[in-house]
Amino acid sequence: MAVGCKNIMDYERDGILRESDISGAMPSAARFEKGPVAVIECVQNIPCNPCVHACPFGAITVGRITDTPRLDCGKCTGCGKCVACCPGLAIFIVNKVYSADEATVSMPYEFIPVPQKGDVWAGIDRSGKAVCNARVVRVVSGEMQDGTSVITIAIPKGLAMEVRNIKRKEAD
Amino acid sequence: MRIEKHPILDFGRKKKVSFSYDGNPLEAFEGETIGSALHAAGIKELSHSLRFKRPRGFFCGIGKCSSCAMRVNGVPNVRTCIVNATEGMVVERQDGMGELPDAEFGDARYEILETGIAVVGGGPAGISAAIEAARQGAKVALIDENTMLGGQLIKQTHRFFGSKEHSAGIRGIKIAGEMFGELRAFEAKGLVQILSGATATGYYKDKRRRKEHLLGISKGNDFYELNADRVIIATGANENMLQFPNNDLPGVYGAGGVQTLMNVYGIRPGNRVLMVGAGNVGVIVSYQLLQAGIDVAAVVEAAPRIGAYHVHAAKLRRFGVPILTGHTVKKANGKGHVTGATLVKLDDNWKQVEGTETEVGCDTICLAVGLTPSCELLFQCGAKMKYYSEACGYVPLHDDEMMTTIPGVYVAGDASGIEEASTAIMEGRIAGLAAAKGLAEGRGGAIDNRIASIKEQLAMLREGPFGFHAACGKGKILNDMQSERGCASNDSCDPVPEFTHSRPQTYLFADSTQSKALRTRTAHEQKFAYPADRNTGGRA
Amino acid sequence: MSREGCGDGDRVIICRCEDVSRDEVIEAIEQGYDTIEELKRYLRIGMGTCQGRTCQRLVTQILREKTGRNIEEIGTTVTRPPANAVSLGALAAGGPTEEGGDEYATP
Repeated sequence: MAVGCKNIMDYERDGILRESDISGAMPSAARFEKGPVAVIECVQNIPCNPCVHACPFGAITVGRITDTPRLDCGKCTGCGKCVACCPGLAIFIVNKVYSADEATVSMPYEFIPVPQKGDVWAGIDRSGKAVCNARVVRVVSGEMQDGTSVITIAIPKGLAMEVRNIKRKEAD
Repeated sequence: MRIEKHPILDFGRKKKVSFSYDGNPLEAFEGETIGSALHAAGIKELSHSLRFKRPRGFFCGIGKCSSCAMRVNGVPNVRTCIVNATEGMVVERQDGMGELPDAEFGDARYEILETGIAVVGGGPAGISAAIEAARQGAKVALIDENTMLGGQLIKQTHRFFGSKEHSAGIRGIKIAGEMFGELRAFEAKGLVQILSGATATGYYKDKRRRKEHLLGISKGNDFYELNADRVIIATGANENMLQFPNNDLPGVYGAGGVQTLMNVYGIRPGNRVLMVGAGNVGVIVSYQLLQAGIDVAAVVEAAPRIGAYHVHAAKLRRFGVPILTGHTVKKANGKGHVTGATLVKLDDNWKQVEGTETEVGCDTICLAVGLTPSCELLFQCGAKMKYYSEACGYVPLHDDEMMTTIPGVYVAGDASGIEEASTAIMEGRIAGLAAAKGLAEGRGGAIDNRIASIKEQLAMLREGPFGFHAACGKGKILNDMQSERGCASNDSCDPVPEFTHSRPQTYLFADSTQSKALRTRTAHEQKFAYPADRNTGGRA
Repeated sequence: MSREGCGDGDRVIICRCEDVSRDEVIEAIEQGYDTIEELKRYLRIGMGTCQGRTCQRLVTQILREKTGRNIEEIGTTVTRPPANAVSLGALAAGGPTEEGGDEYATP
């Protein structure tokens, strides 16, 4: 994890997190059963803590400023306030129990055009590959968001921990 | 070539102005530099080089490298990246060194100015220094060579890291806006004088001792002599260049230049960009390119690991941009401008591996391969300079209140070692406060308290593995400064050698007009024979 | 044979202002101009409009590569005013009119 150490993590070579990189900070399976919760994909000791102040429930703590954030899953309601505040765009809200066969992922999005509710775009994984259809179920944008919209998409349940981006389909 | 819609920025273009380029009429928006207006019109080739007649475009885009020199209203060697296009301006491509215009300088002014604190550089460090010093009641003159203040901060569209007290989570451009507001308020009160579009060209001692320090300031054809009790040097950094064949082709741009084009003027630097360097700058600028609707072919990084924060790299990867660690640019391809690049793998010893070459199509190669502190004035004033790899170059020794070995000369920001905008702001504040001591009325204790609290915040920003490097460098600088002071107090060291020259007007070698007449060699230069082919001086 | 004027060869340009290529720097080092000050005077590297801001680092790299000296040993060239290009007009603008106006010095 440290910059100075000799072993190079895979994500330091290619920029893609593996599941093992984030497993430590992951909400428990039991918590995922209860509904939406924040998944914080922030694994390095960088000096940053706006997420702490963004959370209205005090669910996120950062000890020293360079510590990685800790999420108190009991306090997190999955409200998504932290998503647009993270300078690294590294927080996602995952709801694995959205419906019988679908999960939702809420993600920050700083591009134009902003998708509309009901649009079907491609769901993109951490390496940029399109892996499924993503139906837009909620869009939070406008002045208050200061350029960072929060888009919630419904995707096949099994891909809840894969899909981290969306892309407009070429045909559109 | 203009960006019409942007997810974060509104370019607020207003009036158009007309100018001519090589006899052809062109339009620019008011406030645009000549270089960017030409780029918007698809003109990337700005000059032909001195000797080899190679096509040249701009490189750094921020007034440092002079690669954008053109002939403007008859005057050669004008840095078109920092001079605005104005109505009726005549711009011409420059071939070789340019000739001295047949001009009169009757309207040129020479003025003597006085101030308490002269701050050189209007980036985050300089502006912060000016604000803090003015808040203490000191009189400040802020000098910046760009027409727009803010340095690189006005190009940072991403949200900043750090803690809430350091404006974390806020975009750089907004932080700049807030700082401008404060600065303008002090300007209105008459405490801050802003000289923009002006370059501090030299540090001198005035033997009449009007004030302790004297800076020569050139602004167009005007020259100011700025006398100050204290000087704060916040001149930032120069973009690093790489060695590869055709590294001077138009389309090989520094990251600062690319950011200036797209985030200040809303002009597409190209349609498909190859980014070189996967540090924070390279990766952040790549993401900004995507936001502006520009294709990023790949990010190439010579080191085996990505230097940027992972979160920045992850943003790029989920848009499908490959990051190729252990690779470098072997060669830029194209005639007249970049049409592609040859990439090559590097082995564990950073040597190119034959047979691993791949071709990439692109019209822009953006170099984000680090920065070097811009310390010319500090060298000139005789401050003790030393090379620190952690600072990315030679920097002045300085104490924890940013004072160099020359009493009354302070340094802040990248000029004191390459770091981030957030640390530059902190250092600027400390330098401004420290410089105001003794100049401001009886608030010494309050100043010390404020400095102490900013020092704590600064230390916090340098925590963790990413700040480790900078923290080590700063530690070494402080130690060396302490030994230097110890050494100075027992008078056992050699004094700084003293040059004496007459007026600043006599330094003509580096004059922008570079007329043949001015290039007569000095006796010293003549000791060193020129190669035969230098005598043509690039002009037939 | 003059190497000038041939345009688009695959050159590695070290000094943009004075148009000096890597091959020329290496040739000069091999001829014995192996300090940064000598290279500056011999090739005019760092004497152009940018005053060495782009090239000095590259010349240092080549000197390291060819002489094995480290950065501290290589050192830097002397930085003199003006640090940037100054318009002749500014220089022609005249000086202070008071008596003793000619007394300036760099430290």
